[in-house]
Amino acid sequence: MNSPVSSRAEQEQIDATTKWPVLAFLGSAVFWLVVGGVFQLGASIQTHSPTFLAECEWFAHGRLAPAALDVLVYGWGFNAAFAVSLWLMARLSLASLRHGGWLLIAGKFWNIGVFLGVVGVLGGWSTSYELLEFPRFTVLLLIAAYAMIAVWVVTTFSLRNTENVFASQWYLLAAAFFFPWLYSIAQVMLLKAPVAGTLQAIVDAWYVSGIYTLWFIPLGLAIAYYFLPKLLGRPINLYYTAPLGFWWLISCGVLLGGIRLINAPVPVWVPTLGIASALLLPLPLVVVALNLLGTIGRDAGRAAASPTLSFIGLSIVSFLAWGVLTIVTSARGVATTFQFTLGPAGLDWLALYGVFSTAAFGAAYFIVPRLTGREWASPALVRAHFWSAALGLGLFTVASLVGGFKQGALLNDPSVPFGDIGPALAPWLAARSVALILGAIGHLAFAVNFFWAACPVNSGKCRPAVVSAPPDLPAPVGSEAHA
Amino acid sequence: MKNGLLIFVGLFTLAALSWAVMLLAPHRQYGGLGPAVDPVEGSVHPYGTSGLAAQGRLVYQDLGCATCHTQQVRLGTADLERKWGARPSYARDYVKDGVVLLGSSRLGPDLRNVGARLGDVPAAEYAEWFHKVLYAPSSVAARKPAHPFLYDVRPVNPGQASHKALRLTGSAAPAAGFEVVPTPRAEALVAYLTSLKDTYEYPDETKRNAPPPADQKGGH
Repeated sequence: MNSPVSSRAEQEQIDATTKWPVLAFLGSAVFWLVVGGVFQLGASIQTHSPTFLAECEWFAHGRLAPAALDVLVYGWGFNAAFAVSLWLMARLSLASLRHGGWLLIAGKFWNIGVFLGVVGVLGGWSTSYELLEFPRFTVLLLIAAYAMIAVWVVTTFSLRNTENVFASQWYLLAAAFFFPWLYSIAQVMLLKAPVAGTLQAIVDAWYVSGIYTLWFIPLGLAIAYYFLPKLLGRPINLYYTAPLGFWWLISCGVLLGGIRLINAPVPVWVPTLGIASALLLPLPLVVVALNLLGTIGRDAGRAAASPTLSFIGLSIVSFLAWGVLTIVTSARGVATTFQFTLGPAGLDWLALYGVFSTAAFGAAYFIVPRLTGREWASPALVRAHFWSAALGLGLFTVASLVGGFKQGALLNDPSVPFGDIGPALAPWLAARSVALILGAIGHLAFAVNFFWAACPVNSGKCRPAVVSAPPDLPAPVGSEAHA
Repeated sequence: MKNGLLIFVGLFTLAALSWAVMLLAPHRQYGGLGPAVDPVEGSVHPYGTSGLAAQGRLVYQDLGCATCHTQQVRLGTADLERKWGARPSYARDYVKDGVVLLGSSRLGPDLRNVGARLGDVPAAEYAEWFHKVLYAPSSVAARKPAHPFLYDVRPVNPGQASHKALRLTGSAAPAAGFEVVPTPRAEALVAYLTSLKDTYEYPDETKRNAPPPADQKGGH
């Protein structure tokens, strides 16, 4: 049954079963992306103009900034992840998505949970634990909805009609499995039966680190491992090294949380363990670079012509940058300057936006036309989205890192009065706002294009703009490597 | 890799390992850490937060103060020189805090010892300073968002001005005939902030964190 060349008709059938759940998740994701981008921009403006919206309690910086990140993580990130995982898993398992109607219901529950959570944070019911700010009454709703969605990913996998399990599927399964584990344990240990003292900080650091390294990054890599061989028409370079990279990366990821607690009042071996696992990151970075960049090889020009592949290229570069920067900044000497500055948030953004979101944009540019049967309305908007995302991401990362090191140096120099640090940082904080404006422009371009293509009212009369140029080649599902 | 079950078992093992190593092990190590009893005075440290201050911590959580403020004093940095604490924070300092928010950003200063920052100032004067920081930061040369929603600006009752009204001057002062009075939330928050001081020197922790005597250095 393991024909690497599944027939086009079969693929179309499978795609058809995923159509409404995937479009619904993507639609909610795009909505939250636009909202989250605006919130984040507002919170960023407040960092250099503290009076902005300060009079309004609902948008006080301490509420708006966490709410923005929550919208982007749980609203945009999770919905997009659901959409892409369901579609990828169905395609790679050569199995249709059965009873997809339930997913629409589960998706509604998830989005109601996110909405209540965000209103809760803005309205003053925040728990104040990083990435777990949503008030308690949303927790069961989110867990139940997640279970109903993830179970579809896993059952589609277990009903697979293929013999091989491809790299993307490992990463998808890892993410699907780790999130409920992280979330439920963190909820129990922080809110249901709280542990005492600074153990709470360890639990939260473990959760936050897990969300980035065991949920968003594996999902970004799953997308890259699927689309590169598919659109370039050749197997993954050195595919036999991919399992090593996968297990090694996940093993590092599960112990990485300690680097957020360097110098904190916790047992000193906790951060040390995090630093040690960061030092083991070079191996998976090299494997992923060999696998993915090696597959692109000399075809960079061809890859750049496809919106899907150019976004995925951005994702790969971000992953490598994230890895290198994580290793460098986890060294104790560097961390002493770097922690508590703008920098760590810039690194998290590199994981959430750089690795995951760009890959998800790329995937959406491929998936949506195949589900709706209509091409993207405006290639100009696609280009606008790509360039604003790339420039915004680059500027945000550089401003956070350079500004972060500068802030750290000033903080650690007792001769500089604390009040002088804010003005000295203002240019970097302003640069971050500019980067977020660029990002928001990209989000708008994406939203317009998406709703134009996905809205059932449009009768498909618009000029087909063939932007996902490469033909739908049969997926070389790593078959060669398994020979 | 072909075997789905094997992948699942592998992931499960890693997840269990992560939990056991990262959470269970520290919990076994110091999850039972309690307050210390002073060997001479018999007093308990930390004692825990008073009722009003505990309510203030809820306000601190609700306003998301931890977004920009840490609550941990580190060694090996300028924290001590900046007078953010007379000593580094120990894990024991936090055992009676119901909610521990160490924080991860210092756009604002560290607050772990903010209740001891002004030194020996009368309590009322200290509270007044906090209220000014929160209501009109520029009046005390602080660069932070104001939280005017924590205060009532109301007409003064003739002959009965509130004793809690802030003594503001300059541009921050209310119009003539009006006064700025803290709401109960503002009072709770200020009670919480003034309660933040780790001034007690634990004999155990001090000994453990003291530099080794010079003659023993590199003795191994």
